[in-house]
Amino acid sequence: MIEDELLIAYADGECSVSDQLKVEQALRDDPELRARLEQHRRLAARLNAFYAPAAEPPVPDRLTALLRKQEADVIDFAAAREKRTTRLPGWGQWGAIAASLAVGVLAGQLALAPRGAVVESHEGRLIARGDLAKALDTQLASAQPGDAHVRIGVSFQDQAGAYCRSFDTVNLAGIGCRKGGEWQLPVTHSASDAAANGGYRQAASGDALVMQAATAMMKGAPFDPETERQARDKGWR
Amino acid sequence: MATERFEEEMLALLPRLRRFARSLTRDQADADDLSQLSVERALKAREQWQPGTRLDAWMYRIMRNIWIDEARARARRAQTFAPEEEGLSVGDDGHEAIERNVEMNDVDRAMAKLPDEQREVIALVLVEGLAYKEAAEILEIPMGTLTSRLVRGRQALVQMLEAA
Repeated sequence: MIEDELLIAYADGECSVSDQLKVEQALRDDPELRARLEQHRRLAARLNAFYAPAAEPPVPDRLTALLRKQEADVIDFAAAREKRTTRLPGWGQWGAIAASLAVGVLAGQLALAPRGAVVESHEGRLIARGDLAKALDTQLASAQPGDAHVRIGVSFQDQAGAYCRSFDTVNLAGIGCRKGGEWQLPVTHSASDAAANGGYRQAASGDALVMQAATAMMKGAPFDPETERQARDKGWR
Repeated sequence: MATERFEEEMLALLPRLRRFARSLTRDQADADDLSQLSVERALKAREQWQPGTRLDAWMYRIMRNIWIDEARARARRAQTFAPEEEGLSVGDDGHEAIERNVEMNDVDRAMAKLPDEQREVIALVLVEGLAYKEAAEILEIPMGTLTSRLVRGRQALVQMLEAA
């Protein structure tokens, strides 16, 4: 008999490997237990869908105004980050000596950072641009270049039938959905928490959020490599 | 953390903070007020923020504490001004008032019926997607307390929403 506490921990991805195996074993033999698990998954999906609009733009001006005193023209945090990084190459004017000192540090950053703005805010919606849009268009999860700036996670169709793909970059994780010829970003999660800890992603909770959102949005199963390839070749339409 | 950086990260957090506020308050206007108060308090208390620890967890904690104070204040006002038989009680609107409010969505109505301590756990784990351990730290409760509140809250919501 699997108690609710264990079943819920399983649904939330919070149980040990041995408990996980135990639950999966029980799920195979017990349709009633599968039904209970489905109830809890439906609940999570329903809450996610219900509260998702509260996290969507536009954020009221009175909130952003509190934080935007110095940079009034910044559209969103991605643009803010972009502004800062584009200032970096200013070291050119210091000449070759400064450049050679800086190059070790910068090489690491520039190699990892996507080029160009990757996110743009348009009529209150976040849209993928640049390398991010390109990766969402073309990159297959099953064949990612080793040095890819953007890593693609799962591809799937949402309840409305739109093609969606989860992604991860150094700065940002999220989900892009193909709508109106663009990749809209209904879910984004900044890697800001990681930056304070030495500049690298503290992946677990950001990725978990994105995966949870993907699970809630998904109609049916995530695509297998073949379906992903076919969808890409048809231009995600 | 540099000043500019702090503000930038707070901006990036705003959507999630608004969502957490929305699930705590069950009302968008209250949620935005709560978000504003939380950001203001955070800006005043930024010296207490320790770089290297998580800004989101710190903000969730600030927000949740402001909301607890507000819910208590509302409860006191309700006790002072409303006769008890009208069913207006503490923090949430009271079950009868909730049943009367046909405009409310099923999810809001179900969340409103949960005890505060279960609702905040549901909000952090199921809506915000935090790990159990992270949620327990924000709420400053032991893991066992967190999981038992989560289980009871989940069971109650399943019952209310699947029946509806």
